[in-house]
Amino acid sequence: MADIPVGTPLAAPQARQRTLLVGTVFGTAAALMYFAALFGVYLRERSDALADGGSWIPSGTNIQLAQPTVAAWTLLMSVVTMQWAVYSIARDDRGHAILATTLTTLFGFSVVITTSFQYTQMGLVADDSIAAVLIYTISASHLAMIAIGLVFLLLMAFRALGGQYSSRQTDGFVAASIFWYAVVFVYVVIWTAIFVLK
Amino acid sequence: MTLTETRPETDAVAAGDDSGPTAQSSPDQWTPPTGLARILSTGDHQTIGQMYVAFALLLSGLALALGMLIGIEQADIDGGFGVFANSNELFQVFGLYRTTLILCGLVPLFLGLATVVIPRQLGASSVAFPRAAAAGFWTWLVGAITHIAATFSYGGLGSFQAGAAREQSVELTVLSLGVIGLGLLASAGVIFATIVTQRPAGMDLLQVPAFSWSMLVATGVWLFSLPVLLANLVISWVDMRGADVVAFGGGDAPFEQVAWAFDAPQVYAWTVPMLGIVAEVFTAAHRNRPKMFEPMAFLVGVFGFFAFGAWAQSFFDSADPSTSDAHIVTNEFLFTAFGLAIALVVVAYGGWLAFNAASAGQRPQISPQFALVTISGALLTAAVLAGVLRVAEPALGVLREFDDDVWRGFFDAMADLEGSSLVTGMMNLAVLGGLLAAVAGLFHWAPRVLGSPLNAPLGYLSVLPLAGGSILIGLTDVLGGFFDQPARPYQTSGIADIDSLGFVEALNVIGLIGYIAVVGGLVLVALNVARSLTGVPMAESDHGEEA
Repeated sequence: MADIPVGTPLAAPQARQRTLLVGTVFGTAAALMYFAALFGVYLRERSDALADGGSWIPSGTNIQLAQPTVAAWTLLMSVVTMQWAVYSIARDDRGHAILATTLTTLFGFSVVITTSFQYTQMGLVADDSIAAVLIYTISASHLAMIAIGLVFLLLMAFRALGGQYSSRQTDGFVAASIFWYAVVFVYVVIWTAIFVLK
Repeated sequence: MTLTETRPETDAVAAGDDSGPTAQSSPDQWTPPTGLARILSTGDHQTIGQMYVAFALLLSGLALALGMLIGIEQADIDGGFGVFANSNELFQVFGLYRTTLILCGLVPLFLGLATVVIPRQLGASSVAFPRAAAAGFWTWLVGAITHIAATFSYGGLGSFQAGAAREQSVELTVLSLGVIGLGLLASAGVIFATIVTQRPAGMDLLQVPAFSWSMLVATGVWLFSLPVLLANLVISWVDMRGADVVAFGGGDAPFEQVAWAFDAPQVYAWTVPMLGIVAEVFTAAHRNRPKMFEPMAFLVGVFGFFAFGAWAQSFFDSADPSTSDAHIVTNEFLFTAFGLAIALVVVAYGGWLAFNAASAGQRPQISPQFALVTISGALLTAAVLAGVLRVAEPALGVLREFDDDVWRGFFDAMADLEGSSLVTGMMNLAVLGGLLAAVAGLFHWAPRVLGSPLNAPLGYLSVLPLAGGSILIGLTDVLGGFFDQPARPYQTSGIADIDSLGFVEALNVIGLIGYIAVVGGLVLVALNVARSLTGVPMAESDHGEEA
């Protein structure tokens, strides 16, 4: 509990009815709609390019499946650790909750590194084709989503460290996990629509 | 509880009450900020809502002034009055009129009202996330100011003539529109979370007041719409950032990316809260509580569902519309079905209002807000009927399969309407209807929003120009559509197709008078609000503030 100066008027505690959870669900739904729109344009443009008999990915680019697959598996593992964190905090096991959150954060960070490495290998010039514009828009937006998720997770870990979350109050961890699962879901769609289908 | 969970301001601080112990200066005690610092750092929902309303009214006036400039130019279609130096300037103002009227005027006006009114309707002390509400407002405001400044700096949503716009300004215009969308999304999330989580125990969602319910539906629809708008803008922006523009950032493509937000059915989505305001003001004027609330709530929900229009954008069309298997979203069955269904919903909603009026058994208490909601309801009805004409051509195409010769002239007329100023008229009718409803809400909840009621005689005085002007603007655009006036005035190639050019120009002069009237009406509303805020004693009190 933080120190509050003597004399500061304290309002009566508000009965929070899963406010953070509802707010996070709203934000997550908005993020999913954002990606749905991006994929809508991407798949439409790809379909038109292929219907015209052309190729979608510009020639001379080297889009390997190896790095995206590693990133996808890493994120799938992070689902397990994320759920581990939720499970632990619901059982007042704060140590394991923080450990699991830290592991999830590391997995997320490694995906950022993997994607950055892939950017250097692809040889895809951003202003060269419609495909390049859309691939960079989608994957960079997903990196931004990962970054937001990492900040969210770290915030929850610090709050857990401060004793704010326990079996009586798990909203923060559940909210972070919902957002993180959306991060993983979006990457699975990226992996399928962009890197497998090409 | 930790310090981070403490509300940004207590009610006492928000009300400027400095008599408590917090006001005594001491190194150990926190002193609440005053003056500008208080406004900039406030998390008080009342103050945030007031600022939203004030700036939204101001920007609505600016948008209508831009409409006035377009109206002056359109009064002489083939010659022009030289308001704009070239077609590109007209294109810039054309886009800015739409973004400012809807995303800087109407939507924030609803959000501002909701930020003040909804916690009180639910019996909550504040909104769910006060800091997010403040962040949403300031993000929106910075985005709106930047958007307008960037457009006037040779920016705009793309460029209609090569080299007529400044590349950096166009990028900034697109980026700032995204910032506006982010701010509105944050504010919508706050309102959504407030309605879902801050209700007292025992009050289920179908027991919230009509305005709260309509805001729940509206924020839900905006939740699905605004991120799509953001995605469109990001694609354009990324394309522009490259050395060469590929497809999404060149020419007028950035405007085309977001044009769906100002066309059917999405244009109705921005007006969803007006249904709640109309219900509350209408039933209060009949000194009655809404009867048959559940059917009304259902109709508002269905209206919101059919108003979702982010899917109806040209970037989901196939690349070559001339091919036989072309996929044009606005020619699809779904587009037509949504347009027809929403008209049925509005008619059913009118039936619900009529039922409530009949069951009250007494004549309504006439007030400025009652007059405004009556006119706004009529404007929305006219908008959805114009929307039916907007989507009629694909529907009639089915009949054309059976007998093309008999109805050829009628079919061709319907086909011409699709790209005509009828589309602009539909948008203006819906949005101005929403604006009038929002002003009615301001009158209705003035004691809550502003602290004291608005002056009724001044209110009546503002109703006439607001209502009359809105009708003139909308109907002249719709009528112009029947004479093949193009929807986009900067496309001069369509001028040759206009039937009876002189008559259409006369219609546009009448529309221009409408713009002047609405701007005058908004000035009167602003004066009334200023009068209320400065506490000038009033002889008249408001009418119909709900018990």
